[in-house]
Amino acid sequence: MAANGAFGRVLVGVKRVIDYAVKVRVKPDKSGVETVNVKHSLNPFCEIAVEEAVRMKEAGLATEVVAVCVGPKKAQENIRSALAMGADRGIHIETDEEVAPLNVARILAEVAKAEEPSMFILGKQAIDDDSNQTGQLLGGFLGWPQGTMASKIEPVSDTAVHVTREIDGGLETLELSLPAVVTADLRLNKPRFAALPNIMKAKRKKIDAKTPADFGVDMASSLQTLEVNEPPVREAGIMVGSVDELVEKLKGDGLI
Amino acid sequence: MFALTSSALATACRRSLSTAAPALASLYNPTEEHELLRQTVRAFADSEVRPQALEHNREEKFNLELFRRLGSELGLLGITVPEEYGGSGMDAVGAVIAHEELSAADPAFTLSYLAHSMLFVNNLAVNGSHEQKLKYLPKACSGEFVCGMGMSEPAVGTDVLNLTTTARANDDGSWTLNGAKMWITNGTVSKDRELGDAFLVYARTAEGPKGISLFLVDKGMPGFEPGAKIEDKLGMRASSTSGLVFEDVVVPADALVGEVNGATLCMMRNLEIERLTLAAMSLGIARRSIEVMNNYSTERMAYGKPLREHGQMKAHLANSYAEYMAGRAYTYEVASRLELDSYGNQLDTDGVKLFAADMAKDVADRAIQVLGGYGYVGEYEVERLYRDARLISIGGGTNEAHQNNMSKVMARIQQFE
Ligand SMILES: Cc1cc2nc3c(=O)[nH]c(=O)nc-3n(C[C@H](O)[C@H](O)[C@H](O)COP(=O)(O)OP(=O)(O)OC[C@H]3O[C@@H](n4cnc5c(N)ncnc54)[C@H](O)[C@@H]3O)c2cc1C
Repeated sequence: MAANGAFGRVLVGVKRVIDYAVKVRVKPDKSGVETVNVKHSLNPFCEIAVEEAVRMKEAGLATEVVAVCVGPKKAQENIRSALAMGADRGIHIETDEEVAPLNVARILAEVAKAEEPSMFILGKQAIDDDSNQTGQLLGGFLGWPQGTMASKIEPVSDTAVHVTREIDGGLETLELSLPAVVTADLRLNKPRFAALPNIMKAKRKKIDAKTPADFGVDMASSLQTLEVNEPPVREAGIMVGSVDELVEKLKGDGLI
Repeated sequence: MFALTSSALATACRRSLSTAAPALASLYNPTEEHELLRQTVRAFADSEVRPQALEHNREEKFNLELFRRLGSELGLLGITVPEEYGGSGMDAVGAVIAHEELSAADPAFTLSYLAHSMLFVNNLAVNGSHEQKLKYLPKACSGEFVCGMGMSEPAVGTDVLNLTTTARANDDGSWTLNGAKMWITNGTVSKDRELGDAFLVYARTAEGPKGISLFLVDKGMPGFEPGAKIEDKLGMRASSTSGLVFEDVVVPADALVGEVNGATLCMMRNLEIERLTLAAMSLGIARRSIEVMNNYSTERMAYGKPLREHGQMKAHLANSYAEYMAGRAYTYEVASRLELDSYGNQLDTDGVKLFAADMAKDVADRAIQVLGGYGYVGEYEVERLYRDARLISIGGGTNEAHQNNMSKVMARIQQFE
């Protein structure tokens, strides 16, 4: 079993995204989606990652939880949310450029080299672009073992954890030696509500301001967005009276 | 052309309800802490409070377990109390945010929250001694204690300075209380009339309107019993309302809060934050009513088009929104300049409640109208909001009391800012 404080520092990646409840709209010029005056929040999977790290600290496993965010000036609000949940400090790498997984992973890898955590926890994906790449790329850059889409993280010693992953047909448990990258799936935990006293304390916690250039990363993307379109409107379905009628319809439409 | 404008308007409308425009955001969320407070209370209200509201309304049952979580999990019960007493050290705007957001989910539950956090906890934090605060506030902030305040009596409400419950000074410095209180929120906390844990009770210690003092009375003191539990209320049914009876209840000398015959000031100070947060509750009721009628009027078709495209329905939607925003701006503006320990803001603390209470009642009424028959039944939420809204023009002072107070203050003003 892991001893007290065995994990040392835990870093958590947090991303600012359009709130899950907002109905996303494509901009008239099709260059992307509307973001101005639209409610943004902390990516729900990042929230799960923060919760897991804070629980590790509460259980005496981690000594410090650091929330790391690459994003615009306003992302400070979202770092503050993580601090209100219990993270100890923040690192804000400010940029107005698109935060594509490859560049974010490059920056996070540099942050990890400087901070030397024993674990870097991220959300499995962000709900805006659903890329599901940053954790994997980060593990690759650092040469660390990775457990993606974790539904359970259990310490087994001072130098290793078991990570349970939900895969097709069941659960897979990996043993990762530390330091490692873990990405959080929905069932890892249920994030807490930030308590008001902790919200008030968050104000006094430190957020380091950095830029991508501080880590030698150029935010220019190697990918170019040509056009963004609304998904086609789904046509209304019809009710059929019997299986025979269904089969007939499908045949008639040339579907079977 | 027409269709385009109206859909652009609809987009703008939806946005203002989810996030206010940046300039106004600072009035409603002046700091990052206020913003985070709103987020956390709204998330809790949506996932934990709204789902239980209908059932507790039907059963006329106070949700004690959920109430305690406001303290233990969210730190909301001592929202305006300094950290040294177990509170969160927020200001009047913070209190308004908490009441507005909780009330959008369940006004009755929020009324119990208000009676505890504003009428007892904030009252004691502002008017009590260091020792009294140390004794009561940590337990009241954590949710271990459920508390209330007793001012009204069976025979006096508006005319509260004529109250008849008495406190007689004994030779050893203790006091003996006799009399009865009525309409006390959190007076009892269960169906079988278990008393709340502690109360601030106003009692007469001398003749005349100034002869009133404030006392701490605990559950379990001999002679302190629950009166009738008031059932069958029109609204606020999930908030428990009871009488309190005092028969030769001896309270120690240190149960006196503030000065002998000095409670009128405590009362006036506390009524200001009470009225402001009752106005905030009205805002929550109005916002939720607007959300419900707004979404319904998009989905429901009549004569081949959505309800929202029929002229009279547009009036319900637009008028409700404009009145709601006016009430919201007024309430937050007053909150932003209300110091918790001050007195002398009565014109506007009465004013916001007078305006917001009737505004919410009208908005909920229109929401019922937009939903038609569905609006008239409990499952669609606005029926309950409408009934709950009705209390706010009575409790914490009737509309007429506000009009009297305001007119009196206005008589001293020749020119308005
Ligand atoms: C659900 C609920 C919860 C409550 N919770 C609490 C609580 O926790 N603690 C507490 O102390 N009290 C509480 N109250 C009591 C509440 O504050 C009183 O009901 C309110 O102050 C009105 O008093 P009343 O009911 O005695 O009405 P009255 O004062 O008898 O008024 C009856 C009518 O006469 C009008 N009126 C009276 N005087 C005048 C005047 N001078 N000029 C013009 N019109 C006048 C009133 O406006 C009203 O329309 C609660 C009440 C309710 C219904």
